[in-house]
Amino acid sequence: MFQDDEILREFVVESAEHLADVESQLLEIEDGGANINHDLVNTVFRAVHSVKGAAGFLGLVKINELAHNLENVLNLIRNQELVPSHAVIDRLLRSADLLRNMVNDVEASNGFNVSPQVEELKQILSGDFTNDLEAQDVAHSLVEVAQTVTTAVAGPRSGSSHEQSLEHIASKQTQSVAAGVNSRVAESKSGQRVPESNVRVNVAILDRLMNLAGELVLGRNQLLQSINSHCDHDHLSAVAARLDQVTSELQEAIMQTRMQPVGAVFNRFPRVVRDLSAKLRKNCDLEIEGSDVEIDKTIIEAIGDPLTHLIRNSVDHGIELPALRTAAGKKPEGLIRLRAFHQAGKVCIRIEDNGAGIDPARIKAKALSNGLISEAEAAAMSLNDTLRLIFAPGFSTAAEVTDVSGRGVGMDVVKTNIEQIGGTVDIESELGVGSAIHITLPLTLAIIPSMIIGCGEEKFAIPQTNISELVRVPAAECHERIGHVQGAEVLRLRGALLPLVRLSKLFNTDTLSASDESNDNGVMEAPRNLNVIVVESGQYRYGVAVDALYDSEEIVVKPLGRQLKELNYLAGATILGDGRVALILDITGIALHANLRSCEELNETESDLPNGALSADIHRLLLFANAPREHFAIPMACVSRIERTATKDIIEVGGRLLLSYRGSTLPLLALEEYITARPREAELEHLFVIVFEVSNREVGLIAPSLNDICNVALQVDDSALREPGVAGVLVIDECPTRLLDLMALSRTAYPEWAEQTPQLAAAASKHILIAEDSAFFRRHVQQTLTDEGYTVTAAEDGQEGWETLKEMNPLPDLVVTDVEMPRMSGLDLCKAIRGDQRTRGLPVIALTSLASDADIARGKAVGIDDYQVKLDKANLLTSIAHYLKVKR
Amino acid sequence: MQSVSSHSTARENTLQIVTFEVGKATLALDIATVQEINRSLKVTKVPHAPRQVLGVTNLRGEVITILDLHIVLGIKATAKTSASRNLIVNHDHELFGLGVDRVSDIMTISSELSPPPSNLQGLSRKLLRGVHQADGRLVLILDLSEVLKTRAVSEAA
Repeated sequence: MFQDDEILREFVVESAEHLADVESQLLEIEDGGANINHDLVNTVFRAVHSVKGAAGFLGLVKINELAHNLENVLNLIRNQELVPSHAVIDRLLRSADLLRNMVNDVEASNGFNVSPQVEELKQILSGDFTNDLEAQDVAHSLVEVAQTVTTAVAGPRSGSSHEQSLEHIASKQTQSVAAGVNSRVAESKSGQRVPESNVRVNVAILDRLMNLAGELVLGRNQLLQSINSHCDHDHLSAVAARLDQVTSELQEAIMQTRMQPVGAVFNRFPRVVRDLSAKLRKNCDLEIEGSDVEIDKTIIEAIGDPLTHLIRNSVDHGIELPALRTAAGKKPEGLIRLRAFHQAGKVCIRIEDNGAGIDPARIKAKALSNGLISEAEAAAMSLNDTLRLIFAPGFSTAAEVTDVSGRGVGMDVVKTNIEQIGGTVDIESELGVGSAIHITLPLTLAIIPSMIIGCGEEKFAIPQTNISELVRVPAAECHERIGHVQGAEVLRLRGALLPLVRLSKLFNTDTLSASDESNDNGVMEAPRNLNVIVVESGQYRYGVAVDALYDSEEIVVKPLGRQLKELNYLAGATILGDGRVALILDITGIALHANLRSCEELNETESDLPNGALSADIHRLLLFANAPREHFAIPMACVSRIERTATKDIIEVGGRLLLSYRGSTLPLLALEEYITARPREAELEHLFVIVFEVSNREVGLIAPSLNDICNVALQVDDSALREPGVAGVLVIDECPTRLLDLMALSRTAYPEWAEQTPQLAAAASKHILIAEDSAFFRRHVQQTLTDEGYTVTAAEDGQEGWETLKEMNPLPDLVVTDVEMPRMSGLDLCKAIRGDQRTRGLPVIALTSLASDADIARGKAVGIDDYQVKLDKANLLTSIAHYLKVKR
Repeated sequence: MQSVSSHSTARENTLQIVTFEVGKATLALDIATVQEINRSLKVTKVPHAPRQVLGVTNLRGEVITILDLHIVLGIKATAKTSASRNLIVNHDHELFGLGVDRVSDIMTISSELSPPPSNLQGLSRKLLRGVHQADGRLVLILDLSEVLKTRAVSEAA
């Protein structure tokens, strides 16, 4: 139907330009009221007029019809025959919106239904409805009066019939206004998908680009001349310096063409604030500063939605109703300030309101009820951390979800969106005074500072934002600082274990990798210093071992071709100074590629398991093998530390193994000597020693190879393989693994120590009640205590424990209870004990598997005297002895 | 570096093609898709890339992917010689390099191509637009979009 696409496109571009400012101009006209600014009205009139003319020429009948009526109303205003009241401007804005949408979707514009808007405009034109419109205006103010009255007279409910009728009218009116706003929001949304693929460039910048290009040509000519005339080095370097400068300037100037004033986004907010405050019956002014601050076009496009959300939030949650504001001694008009400014090479955007502020107590309550934080965490949280909770996923402060802010888009999405473009968000707030959101954005996305590294023959780039530190491990220390956990390499860094990814192995560029595997057998890797880059990305933190480190460079990101899009470990490519291509590494992708588990995943397994099996206990176990395919586990809670030692440092004295260690000796246990186990391989050069404490003595258990540390729900079979020193058998990763009882083991090895245990004699007369739902642990604890000489009564859960306790006479001397139990938890049992006159003074020790500080705080709050880890017998006994002595 | 004009001056019903050799096969592409022909470029290898990807290179500021036509077509690899070239082709506004053993000729042929013979050995008929007979030689005209779509084909003996 449209013969000439070119003309049509021109029409769209031109009309969009004409209509771009109409909205803000109409709003300005509204502010002026009866004092009509002729120039302004004329500008709008001319804009609409041009659209109308061109549309008529192109046969765009609907656009023409709407523009024609719009023009007529504007004409009335221009001739001072019509006062641009709120209601009139409302209708004009609605029509202008529709007009813009039609222009943006010009091919379908003749299918648009313009009659409602045309009708509205015709009503204004006919004059008969002016009164009605004014009546609406009056009704609108009535709503506010009613509001104030209702709030003010809320106490004495007399004369309510009056109020009710007022409110009735009021709500009717607001509904109609709201409906209008809704439809408009929907419309403007659909209109936002205009692909803005062209950039308007300031002519001054273009001139500069032309000049620089000229300089570049000049530089090239000089260079060619210099080369042809074999001239001296000095001259050549002068040419190079000149080219260098011109290129940098050229790059900068080209970057500038991508820069757009942030006002392009800010301009839509006066309308947003106006419409929303009208809808919520609030009174808000918007102050905009720094519209001329420039940012990269891609960033401008990306911040539109997050900023809109934040502005709407300020109106919806921040600014109070006028009546409330007056009551709080503030001006009835709320103020929102939107500012953009440069700071330290970045662009900052601040959104401040002088509204109600955020109540940290409410945030905490909400986060608690959503399960985002625990009570202990809440108590310890600083004001800033509390405020930042609003950015946590699944948090929304609005008591009720309104269709304004609670549209399924939370602050977490705002935060993610801004972080995606390399920005940050923070919040400040003071209750009763107001809130401020502070956003920092990079100037551009196209250039990122990166570290250039080498691997094999190629160079790669790692974005600086991902790099947290560089670590050089000297060749001599490689052996001590790099270990293996379940076949994967880890780097010891300041006491923590960091997963290590060797890039050369990952990319198969390392020809020596075959010999790497056998380093346990004494084949040393080439004595080379190891460069490790500690990287972080979202949930991952690990070390990347690289062959070489080069410079830090600002690189320009280039996309990769379609065949390489699926390689998730690549973020793109860049061109280095020598003209070669370097690939940019994606830190998250590499972690996935190398099969690293994220901290989050680990946390998930931690938090998932207990839900599945409430009474199954989660324990952190250290897994190791004595001989191949013979697996053992020790609760991490019992482990003081792990040492790596040379086999030759282990000496045998009087049939016992000792390790000379820091000037003294450490008694060692070799598993095969005390339980049925195959002996360790003799030719190992290095061994691990797991150090633990028994009766205040340090003992080391020889562990030839450490496999893993994992969280396991203990489902222990204690019927098979029963022998002293083995608490039971459990299956981990399909391997039968024996759970060791370190106390029993050391007692078998050093029977003389047990006799020195001081509490044994005194224990005989003491009676202990234990409540534990897991049969394995109940038996285990009962056995431990009976061995120690205590009299023990066992109960299968808290409920039974409490019932037993009530019937017991005399009372036991102490209660040992599990925490997670069906029917009655350990905490509830303790509450019951503390609540009863007779039992109030009993010491209560809780047994846990993985006790967090928060859990402990909660336990202490209900009166638990001490927390002990389940499989740590030695400490449990010490604690029991302590409380019984205190009792005595 | 020599540039080949992409504006075909051919009359209607004719097709201008660039012929080249990969192994012993003579192949051809529509000249309109070929932007330029390059001598050896500095190629950066991409670990774990599909087998037919030789690597990426810098073509005047753009990073483009170079494909090895030997692997795409399942033709036994030959050593690089001084005659080896990269055809830089444009498909869907994206540039690719195709590594070939030798660029031979530019020909104008009838755009009515004969279908590839059914007894064609070694390479998939799907990759061909058709064949052209010239001086007793069989020129196989490649379908560029199919060539770029292929995943690595196993090397034919």
